[in-house]
Amino acid sequence: MCSASSAVSSSMRRLLILSVLLFLAGCEAPPPDTVTFSPIGVDEGMGGQPDPGFERAIDVREFRFPQDHGPHPRFATEWWYFTGNLRDDDGRRFGYQFTLFRVGLTPGDPAPDSDWRAHQISMGHLALSDIDMARHMSEERFSRAAAGLAGAKAAPFRVWLGPWSTSGTNGTTFPITVDAETERFGIRLQLERGSKPPVLQGERGLSRKSAEPGNASYYYSHTRLPTRGRVRIGDKRYTVEGNSWFDREWSSSALAADQAGWDWFALQLEDGRDLMFYQMRDKQGRAQHFSKGVLVGMDGKAQALTLDQVTLTPRREWTSPDGTGYPLEWQLRVPEHGLDLNVSAAFDEQEMRHTVRYWEGAVEISGSHRGVGYLELSGYAD
Amino acid sequence: MIAMSRSLLLRAGLRYLLHHRWQLALALIGIAMGVAVVLAVDLANAAAKASFALSSQQLRGAATHRIGGTTDPVPDTIYRELFTTPGHPPMAPVILTPVRIDGHEGRLRLLGLDLFAEGAFREQLPGLIQGEAPVADWLAQPDAAALSRSAAALLGVTVGDALTLQGANSTYSLKVFAINDDDNLASQDLIVVDIATAQAATDMQGRLSHIDLILEDAAAIAWVETRLPASLNLIDIAEQTNDTAGLSAAFELNLTAMSLLALLVGVFLIFNAISFSIVQRRCLLGRLRAVGVRADELFRWVMAEALILALVGGLVGTVLGYWLGQMLTQIVAATVSELYYQVSADAMQLSWQSLGKAWLLGLAGTLAAAWFPARQAARTPPLTTLSRTALEDRTRALIPRLALLGIGLLIIGLIVALYLPGGVLTGFAGLFMLLLGAALITPAFLRLAHGLFTRLPLKGLWRLAIRDLDRHLSRLSTAAAALMIALAASVGIAVMVESMRGAVSDWLQGLLRADLYIVADNNLSNDATLPPEVVQQAPLLKQVSTHSSYRSRKLQIDGRRTRLIAGELAATSRAGFEFTARGADDPWSAFDRGAILISEPLAYRLGLTPGDMLSLPTPNGAHDFTVAAVFRDFASEHGRLFITASAYRHHWQDPAIDTLALFTTPDSVAKLMTSAREHFSGQHELLFTAADEVYTESMAVFERTFRITEVLRLLSIAVAFIGILSALMALQLERRKEHAILRALGLTGKQVSQLIVIESATMGLLAALLAVPTGLAMAWVLTAAIQVRAFGWSMPFDVSAWPLFATIAIGLIAALSASLYPAWRAGRQAPASQMRED
Repeated sequence: MCSASSAVSSSMRRLLILSVLLFLAGCEAPPPDTVTFSPIGVDEGMGGQPDPGFERAIDVREFRFPQDHGPHPRFATEWWYFTGNLRDDDGRRFGYQFTLFRVGLTPGDPAPDSDWRAHQISMGHLALSDIDMARHMSEERFSRAAAGLAGAKAAPFRVWLGPWSTSGTNGTTFPITVDAETERFGIRLQLERGSKPPVLQGERGLSRKSAEPGNASYYYSHTRLPTRGRVRIGDKRYTVEGNSWFDREWSSSALAADQAGWDWFALQLEDGRDLMFYQMRDKQGRAQHFSKGVLVGMDGKAQALTLDQVTLTPRREWTSPDGTGYPLEWQLRVPEHGLDLNVSAAFDEQEMRHTVRYWEGAVEISGSHRGVGYLELSGYAD
Repeated sequence: MIAMSRSLLLRAGLRYLLHHRWQLALALIGIAMGVAVVLAVDLANAAAKASFALSSQQLRGAATHRIGGTTDPVPDTIYRELFTTPGHPPMAPVILTPVRIDGHEGRLRLLGLDLFAEGAFREQLPGLIQGEAPVADWLAQPDAAALSRSAAALLGVTVGDALTLQGANSTYSLKVFAINDDDNLASQDLIVVDIATAQAATDMQGRLSHIDLILEDAAAIAWVETRLPASLNLIDIAEQTNDTAGLSAAFELNLTAMSLLALLVGVFLIFNAISFSIVQRRCLLGRLRAVGVRADELFRWVMAEALILALVGGLVGTVLGYWLGQMLTQIVAATVSELYYQVSADAMQLSWQSLGKAWLLGLAGTLAAAWFPARQAARTPPLTTLSRTALEDRTRALIPRLALLGIGLLIIGLIVALYLPGGVLTGFAGLFMLLLGAALITPAFLRLAHGLFTRLPLKGLWRLAIRDLDRHLSRLSTAAAALMIALAASVGIAVMVESMRGAVSDWLQGLLRADLYIVADNNLSNDATLPPEVVQQAPLLKQVSTHSSYRSRKLQIDGRRTRLIAGELAATSRAGFEFTARGADDPWSAFDRGAILISEPLAYRLGLTPGDMLSLPTPNGAHDFTVAAVFRDFASEHGRLFITASAYRHHWQDPAIDTLALFTTPDSVAKLMTSAREHFSGQHELLFTAADEVYTESMAVFERTFRITEVLRLLSIAVAFIGILSALMALQLERRKEHAILRALGLTGKQVSQLIVIESATMGLLAALLAVPTGLAMAWVLTAAIQVRAFGWSMPFDVSAWPLFATIAIGLIAALSASLYPAWRAGRQAPASQMRED
């Protein structure tokens, strides 16, 4: 998410090419229900710059709702990104991530000669973390965004990819239903609007990712959506409650040549405040000054955070089964807001091993304040 | 003693064979040819089938089930509904349809796929795209098409070249987007495009050919079944019968028949070669018995020698058969490519099954052929073995018994083929018995002929020749029988094809009564219909006297892909129907009341007679229709049904028309064609066809289907020809001493040569004469039994003189050519040198 925009879109482009090749070369049969493509690192995905025919995020714009909950097909990449920490009645903890990506491959409308003609495709990621059992499950789906197989609409709000969907209720956006099932697990959740309005990230919603103009995205977040529903693991269903975080971002940008990846924090503190911060890393692993964030108060008021206001120190590295090292424990300090947080993975094994390889999982917060959140680490895998 | 006799036998056998290299070679040739022809036909046959099976297997990939695919296209909404339902199994939309490409003769197949759905399915399907072709373009370019390297070679195109899909009045342009190096069978005739392109190119918007599914358990099957509307079926791919195979059963039957024919000819060739080589050696065998070799030793020795011959001959035959098989496979592949789908001759693989069959045949045929002469040789007392007269006496004594057995087999064969229940195989079993019976009658026929000839006032050489015929009966019989079988089979097949050609031609002429047909262009679309204004206006063209209209749709009945045709039929169109069974009522008045007419194949398959009820699947569920009559029809081996337009509209709620048949006066046909073309020029995708064009094209398809039959028939004759050649040559060469004596007695070399030629020609003629009735009986069984058993269609038996004369000529030519070398040699050599016999 966040600055992920650029990287994900370009790597997806590259991945789709790979996928075609793999299909053709006769790779191993993937498990049913999904199409699995070979994973590649984010930084390898630099090959495909979006078609210049796509619009770029250059100027500050006015956001309108509910229209902006819907798709922006003139931009190359867009997503609807849900994460959340949930508990059942017995206190059993769960984390979830559900993302629907829209990827525009060709600008403009497709030829009208067939409903199946597609200029857009859709990728979905679904993950469920069974925190107490330290078990992480995830699935990926693809489809063309045509013929009703996948797509997005603002009103009534609905974004779907096959049977995976998120939709509004009775013509309004909220409460949002998130519904995604796989053979092994599934989620069915209802997200209330809560008390906080959407937060416009960056400069009134224009989030710059590098020095180049247009290498930016339009980005807004709902940082705390009261959530209830059920999660399913195998045949077992758990009635759950908690808070979700909903990110919306669209752009036509790619990672700059010297950028390697990012570390993204979405934290919900027990005092009612929410903190988002992302750190763009260069190829030497240094934080770039495009790194930024926002602190949302209990009342929903947002204050921007820049790199100089925040100190971010990795404390512990975990090595994934294939040897990729991820920093899974961090010290995050924002002295001027009295924050000295210890952010650590709820459990280590929450790596997403799909077309794009990254670590994304539930985190717990201790230190000056307590809370829960989600952490995304990209650009570490080879 | 045993050891001594063994080495004695070995040396005697070896020396004999080495001294009679001709005989050795000819025996080996006989066996080799027999094995080769069976192997070759089998290989070609298997290649065609394997090519299809492999190709369809590669094409369907991992799919276990399929929605649709045998009847109407599937609405793509059902795919969307299933795809957006949680818990759906792996599924993939497919459009697969035959297409023609501008500038290319045969048909290819257009395969439309959704890349994102393919992962679990056709991993083996070769690749479409090589290098880093951008998937964005693959999806967005409406003309992107991918080919395998072999398909590209077939079409002579490379990346960037244009391909024009051809309809009658419309085209769709594709561009070669990628060519993949990875080749397999399925891709050889495939043009792979995105599913959207396939819909656009074939006017299948909103529809799919079928949906592939991977359903791993009963729960998954139930999941799909409960969600399908009544009009759609879930098909288990494994349970799909040959019915959906691309090869028409007619073609397959052809190949099977030819393979059986080859088998029969092969057996006779081997039998002839071996029995001859033993009969020839009776003197040697007699001597061996005289020096004390025991009967059982002699028997084992003869059998062991036959075994060695069989092995060597089998080996030679395998090599020969493989080579011959390659040629045949190419012919088969060419025919299949032209008629059905692109296959490549590369599909030919030397399977253990084919090899085993051919070897076994060579072995069993050789040993069986050796068995009787070996037993005879071993059993007879030493002195009689030495005498040829004794042998001929015994053969003569056997002839009536053989003839009786032959007649018995012949009659049983006819009964089995014509009356015994069972499928095509029962028919072939009967046919086999019939031919075997005729072969057993051959010696008796030769004697009979000899008896007749001796009454003729013949003189000199002719008299001598006729006498020889009887004297050498034991050796001539098998050769004559082999020639007779090959010729009979040739007559049988020729007459069968002729009968069928006549029947199809009559049927077409009955069917194509109208002067002009306007057909919705169905080359690019599976279900084209005529625009309503065409249906309204065309009959109003001033030359039109009357018209019929048709609407045709595929209908799955009892697992068979039949075709239902709704017709509003003019009286002239009705007159074209030939009913082979009708009820008490007038068929047409019953038809007008809503009863259906069914074609012969369907009636045969389902055991229906007029008055019976047949349940048809309509969109509102099954409905029972009365069968008014059964009509003769060669259009489909699966069956066709006619129903009135009003009944069709009532049950199927489909007002469309896809074909109009216009009638006019004979002198206005050209005018009608012109005015129809002008009136509808450029407006619609229409195909204007005159009846004679349809007729010509249909007959051309018929000829193509049977071209392979013709090739194989000629091949079997050629093989028999070589077999007869070797048999006769062996016979004449063996008689060198006899010929020398004739020379010594005063005959000139020329006269001896003439004698040899006359003898051979007489035998060839006699074999051909017997082949004519045998061949006619075979043709009768083929048309009245095999065709009915295979397809359910009957046809009048239609014999013309030409194939009969041709057969007699071939018999004569074969026999004459076989005598040329021995005759030349006998005439040339000095009497003294020839008289030295071993």
